[in-house]
Amino acid sequence: MCLTQKTGEMEQILEVKNLSVLRVEKTESISILNDINFMVKKGEMFCLVGESGSGKTTLALSIIKLLPKSFKIASGEILINGKNILEINEQSMRNIRGKDISIIFQDPSAYLDPLFTIGSHLQESYHGKNENKKELISLALQEVGLDSEVQTVYPHQLSGGQQQRVMIAMALINKPSIIIADEPTTALDVLTTRQVIDLLNAIRLKHNPAIFFITHDLELAMKTGTRIGIMYRGHIVEIFKPGREKPSHPYANILLGTIEGKDTILELNFKKNTMDSKQMQQKCPFFDMCVEKEARCKKTIPFVWCDSETGIRCLKNGRNTQV
Amino acid sequence: MRRLLQRLKNHSRPAYFSLWFLLVFYFVSFFADILAPYHFDQQFRNKPYHPPTKIHFFDSGGNFHIRPFVYNTVIDDPVFKTYKQDYSKIYPLKFFVSGKERRIFFFFKTKRYLFGVDQPAGIFLFGTDNYGRDIFSRLLYGGRISLSISLIGVFISFSLGMITGGIAGYFGGIIDQILMRLVEILMVFPSFYLMLSLRAMFPLNLSSIQVYLLIVMILSLIGWAGLARIIRGMVLSIKEEDYVLAARSLGLPHWKILLFHIFPNTFSYSITAITISVPGYIIGEAALSLLGLGIQEPYPSWGNILSSTIGNLRVLGDAPWLLLAGIFIFVVLINFNLLGDALRNVLDPKNW
Repeated sequence: MCLTQKTGEMEQILEVKNLSVLRVEKTESISILNDINFMVKKGEMFCLVGESGSGKTTLALSIIKLLPKSFKIASGEILINGKNILEINEQSMRNIRGKDISIIFQDPSAYLDPLFTIGSHLQESYHGKNENKKELISLALQEVGLDSEVQTVYPHQLSGGQQQRVMIAMALINKPSIIIADEPTTALDVLTTRQVIDLLNAIRLKHNPAIFFITHDLELAMKTGTRIGIMYRGHIVEIFKPGREKPSHPYANILLGTIEGKDTILELNFKKNTMDSKQMQQKCPFFDMCVEKEARCKKTIPFVWCDSETGIRCLKNGRNTQV
Repeated sequence: MRRLLQRLKNHSRPAYFSLWFLLVFYFVSFFADILAPYHFDQQFRNKPYHPPTKIHFFDSGGNFHIRPFVYNTVIDDPVFKTYKQDYSKIYPLKFFVSGKERRIFFFFKTKRYLFGVDQPAGIFLFGTDNYGRDIFSRLLYGGRISLSISLIGVFISFSLGMITGGIAGYFGGIIDQILMRLVEILMVFPSFYLMLSLRAMFPLNLSSIQVYLLIVMILSLIGWAGLARIIRGMVLSIKEEDYVLAARSLGLPHWKILLFHIFPNTFSYSITAITISVPGYIIGEAALSLLGLGIQEPYPSWGNILSSTIGNLRVLGDAPWLLLAGIFIFVVLINFNLLGDALRNVLDPKNW
């Protein structure tokens, strides 16, 4: 049973509809994100998995409307708490950033100003004008497992894991409804990764924000996510629930094969994918590399919702009965 | 502040010494009214080109005096300006002597100076110039003008440079184009001739305070263009840094990002540039005064003390103490450069 786009549920914090982003260059514009559709609900951890260059970070930056100047949102809607942020001006966007959406970045040492103490970082991120600001800051630090004394030190005096905790505390301090975590564990070792993930999960259970977790580590996503979106070359090719069902898109299967130790990856003809962005819009983005491709894959393939939470962009799949 | 000093001390002893040295210099010229034995325009007409006064502890009879003293001097050879000491009477060095009332910065009046001797003897630590004015006193008073011009000038030109460069770099686009073309027009002119022509726009018979302000303005108007360009370049690269993106993702307005995240990160350069450009102002003032366009006599500045020696070759042989102003300029410049170099490292938290 598949349904086309299901919308309008109250608990949806973030909803992205038909989002397309272009990178405008002098002579041509290159499609970076193509017809992205997904939503993140309150209290869930939505993991977005994809290889480098698939557009994960671009998606994260479009959600907070901080794309670099060369990027242009061509079409679509981004709804945060039901408000389309693509239609509001910069001033009101500033009130949303940090307050309703917080973002945690990949490399904390680069994202903390080297001249600012931890305390001033936290003060800066706090939006309200509360008298008990200091208490709130120590509380936020406590929550991420850091000492209150850490406020007086500078970022470079902390380890990577501690810096990431500071970033989380900064994201947390305004009690946002959604936290975007853009590969927060990529720069960290295995144990610290575990701690950061546990921390994010603990926060999710305690304060119930939605977490939009971007990673290239499918294994990590399978363990921690409540839902997983697989991204490939600017398309979300599948959204599934780990544990409940296996992904069925050929690309998702390959990814899954790598963590299950299968050799599928070697059987694939991994020649250079030569499609340009125009061709990509005309046929399945995975067409060149797909082992199960057919003639009918040579046309635009829409993203189809199977139920309210999962969906796929592939014709071969049994669930995709619509086309 | 104390931690900063400690860091400076640990990082570089010479720079730490330079800092104290400069502070002493500023302090001394600030309180020139008390510290100088003579007013800057007080003349000893019978003692031109007087060499530095000898200070004695033993009189001609070989008796020791606990209080140092000087002898009066009389001119020996009026052509070559040589002096001989008159051993008949000793003039002991007196501290906190009273004399003509001087005003310290228009507010406080003082009648007492740190030291002096009774007339007709004179205490000329660094000798006298052609009018018989005490060079030591003039150097202290001149330091007040030369050193404060550099500070005020640096302040004005750096505000201009930081604001222009910061706005141009941060907002980019058409604003950047307009501001940078303006800066380039200013930079096209050779700075020295620009300085001269700016000065030529104003009449020569201005009062000393007007000339002072005019020179400050001229010097800072010339200095800011190069800085603005460099700051713009730095801002261009800093605004692409990840922490700026992070600050924007926190919802900070542009002015806060510019003021708190971008400018402080240019300080590693601009603090050094400030300390290194201070000498430029001292030299610029000296150059204007040297050409007679700067601070006018009888008001002293290090530049016009030096300029009084121009075209007067016998000074080199017979009254070399007149060149002391040059040594003062040189010493201050060296110390500013030392300090600036060290400050750059000390102000970067990564070096702590």
